[in-house]
Amino acid sequence: MLKTLNQKVSIFLILFAAGYLYLTYNLKEYPYVPVDSDFVPKILGYLLIILAVFLFFDKSSETEEEKEKRQVPKKEMLVLLAVGGMIFLYIFLLEIIGFVLSSMLFIIACSWFLGYRKLVTTFLVAVLFPLIMYLSFNYLLQIRLPQGVLPF
Amino acid sequence: MGAMEGLMQGIQVAFSWQGILFVLIGVVAGTLIGMMPGLGPISAIAIMIPITYGMDPSVALVMMAGVYYGAVFGGSTSSILLNAPGISGTVATSFDGYPMAQRGEAGKALAIAAISSFVGGTVSVVLLMLFAPALSAVAVSFGPPQYFALMFLGLTAIASLSDGSTIKALITATVGFMVATIGIDGQTGTSRFTFGNPNLLEGIDFLVIALGLFALAEICFLVKKRKDQSLQNQGDIGSLKLSKADFKEMRGPMSRQSFLGFILGVLPGAGATIASFIGYISEKKIAKNPKKFGKGSIKGLSAPETANNAATSGAFVPLLSLGIPGSGTTAVMLGAFLVLGIQPGPLLMADRPEVFWGIIASMYIGNIFLLILNLPLIPYIAKILKIARPMLISLVAIFSLIGVYAISFSTFDLYLLLIFGFVGYLMRLFSFPAAPFILAFILGGMMEQSLRQSLTAAGGDMMILISDPVSIGLYIVSILSFVVPIIRNRKNTQAEEADQESNAS
Amino acid sequence: MKKHVWMIGSLLIVLLLAACGGDSSETSGDGGDGEWTPNKNIEIVAPAGAGGGWDTTARSVGKILEEEGITEQNVGVVNKEGGGGAVGWSYINSTNNPHNIFVSSPPLIFVPLNGQSDLSHEDFTPLSNMIADYAAFAVADDAKWQDLNELFEDMKNDPSSVTVVGTSSPGSMDHMQFVTIAKKAGVDIQKIKYVSAQDGGGMTQILNGSADVYSTGIAETVEQVKAGKVRVLGITAEERLEGEVIEDFPTAAEQGIDATFVNWRGFFGPGDMTEGQVAYYEEKLKEVSESEAFAEIRNNYGWDEMYMDSEEYSQFLDEQREELGSLMEELGLNQ
Repeated sequence: MLKTLNQKVSIFLILFAAGYLYLTYNLKEYPYVPVDSDFVPKILGYLLIILAVFLFFDKSSETEEEKEKRQVPKKEMLVLLAVGGMIFLYIFLLEIIGFVLSSMLFIIACSWFLGYRKLVTTFLVAVLFPLIMYLSFNYLLQIRLPQGVLPF
Repeated sequence: MGAMEGLMQGIQVAFSWQGILFVLIGVVAGTLIGMMPGLGPISAIAIMIPITYGMDPSVALVMMAGVYYGAVFGGSTSSILLNAPGISGTVATSFDGYPMAQRGEAGKALAIAAISSFVGGTVSVVLLMLFAPALSAVAVSFGPPQYFALMFLGLTAIASLSDGSTIKALITATVGFMVATIGIDGQTGTSRFTFGNPNLLEGIDFLVIALGLFALAEICFLVKKRKDQSLQNQGDIGSLKLSKADFKEMRGPMSRQSFLGFILGVLPGAGATIASFIGYISEKKIAKNPKKFGKGSIKGLSAPETANNAATSGAFVPLLSLGIPGSGTTAVMLGAFLVLGIQPGPLLMADRPEVFWGIIASMYIGNIFLLILNLPLIPYIAKILKIARPMLISLVAIFSLIGVYAISFSTFDLYLLLIFGFVGYLMRLFSFPAAPFILAFILGGMMEQSLRQSLTAAGGDMMILISDPVSIGLYIVSILSFVVPIIRNRKNTQAEEADQESNAS
Repeated sequence: MKKHVWMIGSLLIVLLLAACGGDSSETSGDGGDGEWTPNKNIEIVAPAGAGGGWDTTARSVGKILEEEGITEQNVGVVNKEGGGGAVGWSYINSTNNPHNIFVSSPPLIFVPLNGQSDLSHEDFTPLSNMIADYAAFAVADDAKWQDLNELFEDMKNDPSSVTVVGTSSPGSMDHMQFVTIAKKAGVDIQKIKYVSAQDGGGMTQILNGSADVYSTGIAETVEQVKAGKVRVLGITAEERLEGEVIEDFPTAAEQGIDATFVNWRGFFGPGDMTEGQVAYYEEKLKEVSESEAFAEIRNNYGWDEMYMDSEEYSQFLDEQREELGSLMEELGLNQ
C-alpha cells in the first residue's frame, strides 16, 4: 500500500507528531501567563503533521545520486552496527574503567575491526593519544576526565 | 580627543612587552583549547580565570581577549577538517569547509578561514573603537518583539539551506524546533518532555546535536568508504596556495560580513552563531551561482568565518560600554573582569581608560598573532586527514565523545549523542538536510522565549509583535528574502533553458 | 572468524577490568567516629556549568584550600551541569563519598519544591555556609516610582501595569525573591507579571522599556546606578550594606516592608557523614572564610560574609523551606 519511500517516512512522522502532541496536551498548566508553555509545541506538532501530509503526496522522485546513497549492502550495515556497538560499550565502560583504558581498548578494537593492520602504529596511537588527552585535560585544563581504575 | 588619548594609553598597555607576551600566550592557549573537542571560548576563558588571580588587571584582560579570539578561531579547525563543529558559531563553517577539505584542499580551506577571520576581526575592531560608545544605544534597542522578528528572519532562511526538497528542509527544521522545546520552560518553570529525567531538565546541549548530526553521521559514511584511499594519495593537502581568483571570490563576503557580523554581534543574545548563519545565507542569496554553496564554495566558507569573528568583537560593545553580557561567553568574560576587581559598565571608559582601550588595542595584536601563528601551522594541522581512515574513524569518535563529556560530565549525554548520530545517519540516507535542524534548534528556543516574553508583557496582545518600525522592517526583509530568490530562480532557469536550446541547435 | 575471537577476548579483558574497578572504588571511604582526614583528593562539585556563581565559589574556595595549604590533599573542581542542580545532587548522592562535596544556594530549596528533583537539602549534610548575597529591585532612571511603596501601591491597584523581569524561570530565585517582598507589602502575588530573560537580557529590558522592574543581585546593578541609568528601589538585606554606592540602597525593611531574602551559598556533603568528617570540613572551611585571600574575593564579587557551622546551617535551611514552601504553594508552583 505504501509504495514510495516518502509515504513510509510520512507515516512515521505523523505518528511521531501525534505522540508529541499527546504530551503537549498533558503539560502542567501555569495559570498566570497569557500564553502557556504548550502554545508553541502545539503549533509545532500540527505543523509537522501538515508537512508530513505534503510529503505523503510529494511526487518528486529521488535523484539517482540520492538513491545510490541509500543503497547500503547488508554487510556494511552490520559493520556500522558493530561500530555503534563499540561506541556504546565505550560509553558504558568510560566511568567504570576510566578514560585512558577505555579509549585504548576502543582505538585498538575499532581500528583493527575496520581493517587497519599496522600493529605498531595502532598501539603507539592507542597509548599516546588517550594519555596526552587525559593528562592535558586533567592537569593543564583542570577538567577531570574519568579516572577509573588507574591510580592517577 | 578623549578617545584618541585613551587609545594611546591603551596602545601603551597592549604594546608593552608584557602586553605583547600575554596576548601571545592568550592567543596560543585559546587556539589550542578551542581545537580541543567540545571546548569553546566559554570553557577556555573559565579555565584561564584562576591563572589571572593576582595579575595586573589590564594585562590579564588583554590576555583574556586573546584567549577569546584564539578559541573562536581554533573551533573552526575541527569544523573544517572533521565536520565536528565544537561551538555553535562554527556550524556554518563546516557547510563548505568540510567539502573543500574532502576535495583535497584542506590547507586552502584553513587558510581561507584564517584570512577571513583576520579581516572580520580587524575590521570589526576598528568599528568597535570608533563606535563602541555610540553603539551602546543600539545594543539595548532590541526588546523581545524585535528579537522575535530577528529570529523569524533567521528561520525564513531555512529553505535556502538545502538543495533538495523544500518540504524535507521544513520537516527537519520543525523537528529541530521540537527538540529545542525539551527541558524547563523559562517563562513558566514547567518541565516539558523530560520524562522525569533530571538530565533533560536544562534541555539538550547544542554540542550533542551538532556532533551527533554532523560528526557521528559523517563517521558512518567514512565507515562505508573506509577502503577508499583517495585522500591519502592526493598530493599536498596542506598547500596554502590561494590564487588571485580565490581572493576575488573572498573579497565580497569579507567586506560585507565584517559589517553585518559586527552589528549582529552588538545585539545581546544574537551573537556569533546567528551572525555566521545569516552571513552564510545572505551570501548564498546574492551569489551568482548559489548551487556551489554546500559543495566547497570559497564564498560559503569565507562568509561565516568573517561574520563570526566580527560578531565576537561586536559582543564586546554591550560588555564594555554597558556591562551587559550578550552571550554565554561574554558572561564568563564578565566574571573574569570581576575577579580582577574591574566592573565593566557605562563608566569603564572614563574610570579605567587603560583597561578599556588596552583590550581594544590588544585585539589588533591578537588578530595579527592569530594570522602569523596559524598560517605556518596549517600544513601540519591539515595532515590529520592523511591518517588512515580506520584510525581516523576511531579518533574522531573519541574526539566527539570527549567533547560532549567535557561539558556535561555525564554518560547520559553520550548515549544521546549516539542516538543523534544514528538519527543524523538516517537523515542523510533519506536525504533530509541536517543544517535546517540545527538552525531551528538554535533559533527556535530563543524565538519561543521572546515571543512569550512579548505576549506576557503585553497581556496577550498579538499586536505588540508588529507595533514598531524595527520589527516591521525585519519582517519585510524576511519576506523579500523568501520571495526574491524564487523570482530570480525562475528567470535564471528560463535563461538557462534558452541557453541550452540555442546550444543544442 | 579471527575477528570474533579477538572481540570476545577484548570483551573479557574489559569486563575483568570493570570488576576490579568496582572493588577498588569502594575501599576509599573511611568510617569510624573519631577524627577523619581525607586519604585522597577532595572533589568539589559545582552542580552547574563553568562561569556561574556556584562554579566561581567552588573554584575560588578550592584554590584557597589548596594554595594556602589548608588541606593536605589536592582539591579539584568538577562541573556536573543539569536540571538546575539536580544532576549534580544525584551524582553526590550516588557516589556517597566523603571526599566529594558540593556547593549550593537557594535553588537547593526551590528545585525540590518545584518537583524537579527528588533529592532535597535533607538528603545531604550541610557543612558550612560561606557567603550571603542579596537581591536588588531596579528600575530605569526615568521610571515614575521613587521607592518600593510607590511601586507596590501601583501593583496593588493594577497588577497588569507592571512587568517584572528576572533571569530565571518562575519558581526560582529571581522570581521568588521579588514575590517574598511583594507578598509582605500586600500585593496579590498571583497577578504579578513576570518574564524571564536569559544572558543579561533583564538589564536590557528595563533600559529599553520592555519591562519595568528588574529583580536581580546587588552587584549587577552597581555600575548602571553609578552611571545614572537605573535606580535601585530596594534591597532585601536586613540592614544597609557598606561600600560605595551600595550604602545608598534602601532596604525593604526600612521602607516599612518587614521582609528579607538571602542568597546564601555554602557547602554540603553526602547524606551519611560521620561527625569526624563534618568536623574536618567545618574547620577547613572556617579557615577559608577567615583568610585574607577569601576576603579579597568576597570584596571583588560584592559578597557578604555569612559563616554558619553545620548545625546552625541545617536549622536555617529548614526555616527557609518552610517560608518559601508556603509562598510557592500559593502560586501553585509547589508539587
